Amino acid sequence: MIRLELRNVSRTYHLDEQRIPALSEVSLVAEAGTVTVLVGRSGCGKSTLLNLAGAMDFPDSGDVLIDGQSTTGLNERQLTELRRNRIGFVFQSFQLLPTMTALENVELPLLLARKPNTEKIARERLRWVGLEGRERSLPHQLSGGQMQRVAVARALVQQPDILIADEPTGNLDTASGGDVLQLLQRAARELGATLLMATHSAEAAAIADVRVYMRDGSVESIQRNL
Amino acid sequence: MSVLFRTLILRPLRNDLLRSLLTLLAVALGVAVVIAIDLAGDAAAGSFQSSLTTVVGKVDLEITATGGVDERWIGKLAALPIIVRFAPGMQAEVKIEGVGFVTVYGIDLLGAEQARGCGASPALVTKGISARLANRFFINGYPFCKAKTIESGEANFAVIDIADFQQALGRFGKLDRIDVFVEPGEGFENVQRQVTAALPAGYRIARPGARSDENQKMLRSFRWNLRILSYISLVVGAFLIYNTISISVVRRRAEIGILRALGATRQAVLSLFLLEASMFGLAGAALGLLIGRVLAVTMVGLISQTVHALYTSSTPAPIHLGLLDITLAFAAGLATALLSAWGPAREATRVVPMEAMGRGSREVRVRLRLWKNLAIAAVLAVAAWAASLPGPVDGRPIFGYLSTVLSIAAAAMSAPALVAGVNGLLRAPLLKLFGVEGLLASRGLSASLGRTSVMVAALATAIAMTSSVGIMVGSFRETLLLWLDGQLRADLYIRSAEPSSAGEFPPIPTAVIPRLRSVPGIADLDIFTAFEFHYQGQRATLGAGDLDVQRRHARLRFLSGDHDAILRSLSHHDRAIVSEPFSEKHHVHPGDSIAVDLGEHRVALTVAGIYYDYSNEQGYVIIDRTTLLKYLPDQPPTNIAVYLKQGVDKDAVRREIEERTRQFPISVAPNQTLRQAAVEIFDRTFAVTWALEGVAIFVAMLGAANCLLALVLDRRREFGMLRYLGAATSQIRRLILVEAGLIGFFALLLGAALGLVLSRLLIFVINKQSFGWTIQFHLPVAALGGAMLLIWAVTVLAGLYPARVAARLKPIEVIHEE
Ligand SMILES: Nc1ncnc2c1ncn2[C@@H]1O[C@H](COP(=O)(O)OP(=O)(O)O)[C@@H](O)[C@H]1O
Ligand SMILES: [Mg+2]
Repeated sequence: MIRLELRNVSRTYHLDEQRIPALSEVSLVAEAGTVTVLVGRSGCGKSTLLNLAGAMDFPDSGDVLIDGQSTTGLNERQLTELRRNRIGFVFQSFQLLPTMTALENVELPLLLARKPNTEKIARERLRWVGLEGRERSLPHQLSGGQMQRVAVARALVQQPDILIADEPTGNLDTASGGDVLQLLQRAARELGATLLMATHSAEAAAIADVRVYMRDGSVESIQRNL
Repeated sequence: MSVLFRTLILRPLRNDLLRSLLTLLAVALGVAVVIAIDLAGDAAAGSFQSSLTTVVGKVDLEITATGGVDERWIGKLAALPIIVRFAPGMQAEVKIEGVGFVTVYGIDLLGAEQARGCGASPALVTKGISARLANRFFINGYPFCKAKTIESGEANFAVIDIADFQQALGRFGKLDRIDVFVEPGEGFENVQRQVTAALPAGYRIARPGARSDENQKMLRSFRWNLRILSYISLVVGAFLIYNTISISVVRRRAEIGILRALGATRQAVLSLFLLEASMFGLAGAALGLLIGRVLAVTMVGLISQTVHALYTSSTPAPIHLGLLDITLAFAAGLATALLSAWGPAREATRVVPMEAMGRGSREVRVRLRLWKNLAIAAVLAVAAWAASLPGPVDGRPIFGYLSTVLSIAAAAMSAPALVAGVNGLLRAPLLKLFGVEGLLASRGLSASLGRTSVMVAALATAIAMTSSVGIMVGSFRETLLLWLDGQLRADLYIRSAEPSSAGEFPPIPTAVIPRLRSVPGIADLDIFTAFEFHYQGQRATLGAGDLDVQRRHARLRFLSGDHDAILRSLSHHDRAIVSEPFSEKHHVHPGDSIAVDLGEHRVALTVAGIYYDYSNEQGYVIIDRTTLLKYLPDQPPTNIAVYLKQGVDKDAVRREIEERTRQFPISVAPNQTLRQAAVEIFDRTFAVTWALEGVAIFVAMLGAANCLLALVLDRRREFGMLRYLGAATSQIRRLILVEAGLIGFFALLLGAALGLVLSRLLIFVINKQSFGWTIQFHLPVAALGGAMLLIWAVTVLAGLYPARVAARLKPIEVIHEE
């Protein structure tokens, strides 16, 4: 089942007078429960593509389709609903709130969406990422790998259909990076999420079902591991 | 240094233009208020100088006496072997048809002016009224003609011959003063010695400037208190500069670290941030001068009305912005800036080279300092209490002011602990009440505890000052109303129609009394004579009334002793009662003897009691009418209180009195009118106070907006991240508003507590020592609660713009910023 599709997507940034073409004519398809990894040098447009796919940004031309529906046509309220229920994000720099405990950080998306039973669900997700017993720890009391696992739990707490990870292992050593990658892969396999991940590490690329090689805002080639 | 300054200070200031402007405006307003009060105070107190100088020339000495100078002394003094000219002087406010009330002076018009016959008595009039005056005009039916128009700047008056003055006003025998002109070649000291020796003990001889000095001295407490109030906004502004510089330092920690690594000295870093503060101070002062000059114009009217109603007559002088004021403005701006920036600037020098410490650990350090700050707060509070104990220094409540400053400092030092503590307690209720926004707001504030506390302290100071002044004024008003109830017991009050300011008591023609006595329905008349007198070089009011009537009708409240017994003991004796302010000012107690000049006599009066009075800061000495008549038999009454028989129609009697005394320039007013007038004067007196409070609150609001804006900008990555996690823009907006509300709430808690302390200081220490009156403490709960709610609402309003900024942040742009 095709969950996410980019059709001839272009995105140009405008800095003062300058035009910076970040993506041009990119097309891509990601199916449910698969892992798609974007590979390419820094500045080639990976983050831009992820923001478009996560409906945080919109193309200048072309379409981003989630379950066949274009993100461009959605209003602010529908977009918020989309982000709350169907998309989860993991960032390179974890982006945990330093004054909140691990549990509260995971609870946060549920609280924002005004869902019930937030604490119970969040506890389960923390257990799922292997952090049972660390619920009350503050971020600065956790290691980098643990922090990123909290971030993964947070991204998955709403059972999103699409999980977007922008260089999730970029700030981690190889061992804890491996743990995080394993979690992300499990998310796709066990929870059926469509994982879209940007990376330039070989280890990260290894878990891919589909590898997308990018260069200067274009897709150079696509390689499927079937 | 200049490169450093440009990159580290100027560029961030420019990038954060709105916040820079808010800080600048806050400082400017603080300085403006100080300048405005000073300028307006000077102008209102300014011209006590007699406008007559232009006509008669410079007077060398002035002879005055309580109840007037006997005119025969001119002849007696002229016989002294000195080369001196003595001239009589009288003055009154007189109604002239078509012009209204005009000050009329009676002097010895020189022959030349006399000769210019115009068919009636000659009058010299100033340019301003000349245009509105017919060639021939009347004063109390007595004809005058314009003999000459004189130039006299702003002042407007008429000058007539002393003999015509006495005829027209029916005031014979007594002069207001004798002016002494010492001729060239005669020794000044010699004249003063010989004249003093010749005059009776009760007469005063002084330089004319002395009155001006007295006025300044009399206004001193009043102006001091205004001036102190005007510094509130500056204090609040200081918190703002502190905040701005702290934010600068925190934001530029990394840059400072790099600079230190590249060889910048601690000294350079320190001066860099002090320079930034000085820029705010100096630019704020310059802008403040301009605003202050404009504000002064509106304030001078209010202040001179108060001076006129409570102290003495004066014509407002033009506002003059002198070098001294300019210096004051820049000194105030610079001092505020440097003092408040010193702490954060020192903090900047402690950044070690290449420091890469995150903000988190910094806030942990703040947490560790909580207990230390709390201990300091306790020490300051004890010091504040100790400073509230000593008496005044040279009539000024210096220690009272010190205690106020120490209390504010104690509150400021306890702010972080309060914020942290209450914030902790509020977590669960906030989550319940505001959902996740409440939780995030509470965490957000504890993450920036240091900065939040400063803002809370600033707001709390403004709130405390406002509420304490509110409590003081409210208590004072309540006390005044109660006092008026006891004081104003008569049904009707009669006085001269001539307008007068405090310290002036125009006489009622004696012929009015028999006519009054013939009006049916009147039970009692209290004939009262008031005049200004000097006691130990300071002015006060001497009053003589029928104390037996007073005893039966009115209820004076005495500090101690039996009301009836005290009042009974006065009749036919050299005994007096004095008001509380008089007793405080001159350290007079019951049983003491005070020397008072009555006409030509110096009389030793025994103080029988001290009564509460709130009408006059200079104080009253009251004697019985019988005692007055013994020394000053011809003294006309100045006020008559009319007590009616039971069940008589007040308005009918009033009309009857007016009918029978129509030819006399007097006014008859019912009880309520006097009461209302007293309350109006009171309210007007404190109008300036309220204006000052308003500015302080406004400055605090600028601070709140400024602080919230900084919080938003520093936490933009967090807001971006929240959007990624599914936060709607409305939730971000709400989050900021909840934070604003929380800051306001903490400030209200601290401000209310501090306000109660300050109000007690104001009432029982500062006011008592400045003005001498005992005010009953009274908490105007409803008004205070309303004001607090309003302040809170405005704090939340101050969060609106920052909330909008936060909601408009583009998540993809802010999320990756480091
Ligand atoms: N907000 C922005 N404004 C202007 N240019 C941007 C912005 N974000 C990214 N770019 C530019 O777009 C290009 C692609 O960036 P990005 O998608 O972040 O690449 P990657 O994630 O692969 O490193 C780069 O040249 C980058 O400088
Ligand atoms: Mg990137």
